Amino acid sequence: MSTEWKLFADLAEHAGDRHVTVEASAGDTVGDALEQLLDGRPELAERVLEDGELRSQVNVLRNGTNVLVEEDGLETELGDGDELALFPPVSGG
Amino acid sequence: MSDLRLDATQLDRYSRHVIMDEIGPEGQKRLLEGSVLVVGAGGLGSPAIQYLAAAGIGRLGIVDDDVVERSNLQRQIVHGDADVGRPKVESAADYVTALNPDVDVEPHETRLTTANVAGLVDDYDVVLDASDNFATRYLLNDHCVLTETPLSHGAIYRFEGQITTFANDRSSADGDGSDDGADSSGRSGNGDSEPNESPCYRCLFPEAPEPGTVPDCATTGVLGVLPGTVGCIQATEVVKYLLGKGELLEGRLLMYDAMEMSFETVEYRSNPACPVCGEDPEIESVEDVAYEGTCEISAD
Repeated sequence: MSTEWKLFADLAEHAGDRHVTVEASAGDTVGDALEQLLDGRPELAERVLEDGELRSQVNVLRNGTNVLVEEDGLETELGDGDELALFPPVSGG
Repeated sequence: MSDLRLDATQLDRYSRHVIMDEIGPEGQKRLLEGSVLVVGAGGLGSPAIQYLAAAGIGRLGIVDDDVVERSNLQRQIVHGDADVGRPKVESAADYVTALNPDVDVEPHETRLTTANVAGLVDDYDVVLDASDNFATRYLLNDHCVLTETPLSHGAIYRFEGQITTFANDRSSADGDGSDDGADSSGRSGNGDSEPNESPCYRCLFPEAPEPGTVPDCATTGVLGVLPGTVGCIQATEVVKYLLGKGELLEGRLLMYDAMEMSFETVEYRSNPACPVCGEDPEIESVEDVAYEGTCEISAD
């Protein structure tokens, strides 16, 4: 099994794609999947992390649930077929 | 105004509202007695202003300090070719007046600042954030939290939109989330409500991205019809709020992706550590914040 990331707004441009599949699977953590997503994508890593920590304005979802608020943050364990998402605020009007 | 009755012309104009049980003449009166401040007369503000005016919102304030540019016309449909060079608030006000004489339109040709936000916002029932920058968005959020003013949030980026509604009603924060039916917000209350079930923008995004991190529409472009969809959803939320009907996007962020033609709803909750609506808020006044950069709390 693998895990798919969906990236919103400018994060998709930094990643080069809106959908990225990583190898992390059930039993791994959201943090593992994030590490794999950022591996080899320095622009995205710089946009998402600050001093190695997730920037406060970037939210991480697991199956539509905000893991930073509802679950155990990046320590949240993945289940089979989980879909992850990263979204930042946008300001255009 | 308290004894407002619909005249024959109004019964005709709003007949498709009045005929519905969910609105009826009483609901239409609510709209005619309601007041909304739209901040920004651009991509989001244009459709919002048009539909709010058509719906018969009694008093419609419009804040913007820009003039119409030709490059706006691909999406800012409240303005026309002949309006290029005119203040946006004037152009938008003319549109409203021509569309619906029931609406008292109040153009405010200014930029929202910590000094004028109270004077502008506090005179209206609801605020619709159609601005195009983080500084205004955080200022509006903080002021509306502090004054418990309902705020509709919409924002766009290229092919994507984010919409949510901050009811900012914390009067029943100690209750069990049940409503007694008198709440004009129309919130139905979820069974799993917890104290302070009225999260704000900073609960989702405590601070803005560093300036320059997220490029603006002028740099990245924007699909012209995108703000039409997003602004219409914001207007829908405002109309529902004034009617006291339906489920608002409170505690839910609607993410619209025009390329995939998908809508995803993400639930979010009040953040106890939120700097403005949390348990021990650092922001007690908009004066506490420098609304520039990341809109963080001032060091002093």
